[in-house]
Amino acid sequence: MEKGRTYFALSSVVLLVVLAISPLKDSFREWKWYQYEYNGLVSAMPQRIKPTDIGIKQVWARTLDRIDRCVTCHLGLKEKALAESKQPFRSHPRIYHDFEDFGCTICHEGQGPATSFMESVGKVKYWDKPIFPKEYMEASCGKCHKEARVLQAPILTLGRKLIEESNCVACHKLEGYSKQWVPGLDGIGSKVNRNWLVRWLKNPRGYFAKAKMPNFLLSDEDANLLADFLMTFKSFGSEAVLEPIPKKLTPASASDLEKLVELGSTRFREARCISCHPINGKGGYVATELGKVASKVSLQWLYNYLKNPKRLQPGVEMPRYRLKESELNAVTAYMQSEFIDYELEEVPPHAPDPAYHEKGLALFKKYNCSGCHELGGMKKAEEMGPELTSIGDKKLYEIDFGKDSIEHTLPLYLFTKLKDPRVFLATMKMPKYEFTDEESRAVAVALLGNTKELIPEELKVLPGPPSTYSPQGEFGKLVDDLACFGCHTMFGRGRLVATDLTLESSQAQGEWIKGYFRVPYSLRPILTERMPNLFLNDREIQVIVDYMEKVFIADSLEQHFENDQTRVTKGKILFYEKYGCQACHQLNLKGGYVGPALDKVGSRLKPGWIIHWLKDPQALNPESIEPNNKMADDEVEALTAFLMSLK
Amino acid sequence: MRTLVVACVLQILVGCSNNNKSTTSAKDTVRVVQDSGANALLPSLTYEERQGRHLYMKYCAVCHGTEGKGDGFNAFNLDPKPRDFTDSRYMSALSDARLLETISQGGRGVNKSVLMPSWGGRLTTIERTYVMAFIRLFGKPKN
Repeated sequence: MEKGRTYFALSSVVLLVVLAISPLKDSFREWKWYQYEYNGLVSAMPQRIKPTDIGIKQVWARTLDRIDRCVTCHLGLKEKALAESKQPFRSHPRIYHDFEDFGCTICHEGQGPATSFMESVGKVKYWDKPIFPKEYMEASCGKCHKEARVLQAPILTLGRKLIEESNCVACHKLEGYSKQWVPGLDGIGSKVNRNWLVRWLKNPRGYFAKAKMPNFLLSDEDANLLADFLMTFKSFGSEAVLEPIPKKLTPASASDLEKLVELGSTRFREARCISCHPINGKGGYVATELGKVASKVSLQWLYNYLKNPKRLQPGVEMPRYRLKESELNAVTAYMQSEFIDYELEEVPPHAPDPAYHEKGLALFKKYNCSGCHELGGMKKAEEMGPELTSIGDKKLYEIDFGKDSIEHTLPLYLFTKLKDPRVFLATMKMPKYEFTDEESRAVAVALLGNTKELIPEELKVLPGPPSTYSPQGEFGKLVDDLACFGCHTMFGRGRLVATDLTLESSQAQGEWIKGYFRVPYSLRPILTERMPNLFLNDREIQVIVDYMEKVFIADSLEQHFENDQTRVTKGKILFYEKYGCQACHQLNLKGGYVGPALDKVGSRLKPGWIIHWLKDPQALNPESIEPNNKMADDEVEALTAFLMSLK
Repeated sequence: MRTLVVACVLQILVGCSNNNKSTTSAKDTVRVVQDSGANALLPSLTYEERQGRHLYMKYCAVCHGTEGKGDGFNAFNLDPKPRDFTDSRYMSALSDARLLETISQGGRGVNKSVLMPSWGGRLTTIERTYVMAFIRLFGKPKN
C-alpha cells in the first residue's frame, strides 16, 4: 500500500512536469531564435533597419493560392543593406517578380506552411517537393513562361532548344515542341555502304561529331542485323529512280579526270558547301559531315542527289544548286576523289542471319526508329517512352533509382538519366545523347517546369501562334527549291541561322540584293555560316527581288532623305569621336569585327532603315547587340547622312 | 547490468557505422556526377552573378574577354585596349556607382575612350547591376 502511494506521488510529479513542458516548448521555437538574432543583428548595424516583432509571418499569394511562412525567418529579404549578411537574413537578389505577390514556394518549392528549417526545405515524409537546388531554379520560370525563349532564364531556354533539336517528342509526349525533320530511310539500300552503316549505327558521333542521331548502344550483332534489314530498302518512296552515272563523270584518261576534279573543286568552294557542311570537323554544323562522304554513299546516289536533293530526300533543307551538267559531273567527281575514309576497313563478305529481316524489324520497332525516320510507310509506335507533360510532378516513389546510389531527388534523377540514360537499368531503351553536364542540367530544368500546377491564365506567358506564311507563285517555288527557310526566317517562319528577311527590302537596296546573289559575301568577317552561291540566273534573281520589294517591306520605314555636306561632316565626327562606332564596325580596313563592315554602306542600305535602326536597333532586330544610344533626331540625321555618303 | 550497457553501446556503434557507410557512398556518387562538368563554377554563383554572366558573355566578352582580361577577340582592333577586370588594384578602387555609370553611359559619359559604348539604352537598370555583379567576380581572388 505504501509502495502504491509512492508510485502515485511520483507519477503525479511527472505529469506536472510534462504539463509544464508543453507550453514552455512553444516559447523555444526555432523561428523565435532567428527573430531574436535578427533584431540583434539589425540593431548593431549603422543603417536604420526596423526590428521585427516576434511572431509567425506569412505571405499569402492569393492568385496562386499559396501560403508561405518563409518570411518568418527570412526577415531581411527587402533590406538592401543585408545583401552580404548571413542566412536566413540575406536580402533577396533583385528579380522581376515581387515575392509579396508571388510568394516563395512557387519558384523555390519546399513546404510553405512549415515553420522549422528542416520541414520547410528538406525532404519530409509525404512532401515530395523539397526546395530546388540553385542550379535548377529556372525550372520554376517554365511553369508560367511557356514560350521557347525566356530572356531572363537562359538555362531554361537552352534546355528547351535542346529538347526541340534532340527530337524528344519522337518518343515522348510533351507539349509545346514540334517534331524535327529527319531524313527518311526509303532507298537507303541504294544510298549507303553497308560497312559504313554498321559503324554509324554503333556510334553516330564516331562519324560526325555533332550528329543529331543519339547512340543506341547496340551490340555488334544487333547493329549487323539492323544494317542487313535496312539495306533491303532499295527503292525511294517517291517513285524516284536513280539516273545512271553519265559517261563524262568517269573519263578514261587520267588527265581528263584531273581537269574534271579541278573544276569540281572550284565550284565546290564557290558554292560554299562548308557554310553548312563540316569537312573533317571544320565548317558549319547545319548539315552533315562531308569529310568521308565518298566512303558513305554510292557515286550514283551522290550524282543524283546533287542534281536534285529533294527528289531523293523529300523535305531536306538543301538548296538545288543551279549547276550545269558539266559542273555537276565535276563536283561529283571532286567529292568522290577527295572525301574518302581511309580508316573504313574492307570487311569480308558477310553472311546474314537467315532470319535477319524479322530480327532487324523487331529491333527497328524496339528502338522506335520510326518515331524519327520514315520507312516504307511504317506507323509510329504509340507511347514509346513515358509521357513527360507533367514530369515535374513525378513522385519519388514512382521512380526506380535502380542500383545507382545518387541522392533521391527528382532534379538529380533527371540530370543523371540524361547524362547516362541506362545507368539506372541496363535494359532501358532510351539512347544516349552525349549531353555535357551543362546541357543535361538545362534539359532537366526545362523538363522540371512541366507540372500540373494550376496557374491562373492571366499569369501564363504563352508562345504566339505558329506562322502560317507560305509564299506562293514563282517565288514560292524558288523558296522551296532553294531551301531558304533552312537558314532564313520570313514572317516568323524558318530558322535564324542567317538574317530575318521579313523587312529585307526596307533595309537593303534592290541593286545591292541583285549583286549579292551573284557574288554573296559575308558582311561580318567572323561568321562561319555564309550565304552560298546558288548560281541563280538573272531571271530568277529578278523574280526574288521583285517579290521582296512588294512583300518584304514596311511602309513605315520608308523615308525620303536628302543629303548635304554639312551633315556629312557632322556625322563623321559623331561616328568617330562621340559614339565610337569604329569599335565594332570596320570602315576603310580600320575598326572592329563585331558588327558588319560599313564600307559602301550607302549603296547597300536605305536611309529610312538607317534612321530607324539608329533610333532603336532592337525594334527592328530584337537579337541585335548594338547599343541603343538614344540619339537626338539631328544626330541620327547627321550619322545617316555620313553613312549614305559612303558609296 | 554491465553486459546490457556494453550491448547498448555496441548497438549504437554498429548502427552509426552502418549509417555512415551508406551515406558516404551515396554522397560520393553525387559528387562525381556533379563535379565532372566543365561548368562546375556555375552553381557557386549567386542569382545576380549568373544572370550577369549570360549578359556579359553576350554583350561584353567580345572586347573584354571571357576571362575578363580585356583580351576579347575584338580587343585587337581597339586602342586604348579594353579594361582588364582582373586588375584587382584598379577594380577595388573603382566604386560601384562609377562602374555602373561607365556601363550605362559608356566611355563618353565618364571622360574615357568613346570606344566603350553606352549600354543604358539597351540594358535595363536591373540588367546593368547584374552585369556589374559578374564583373566584380573577376577581381576577387579565386579559391
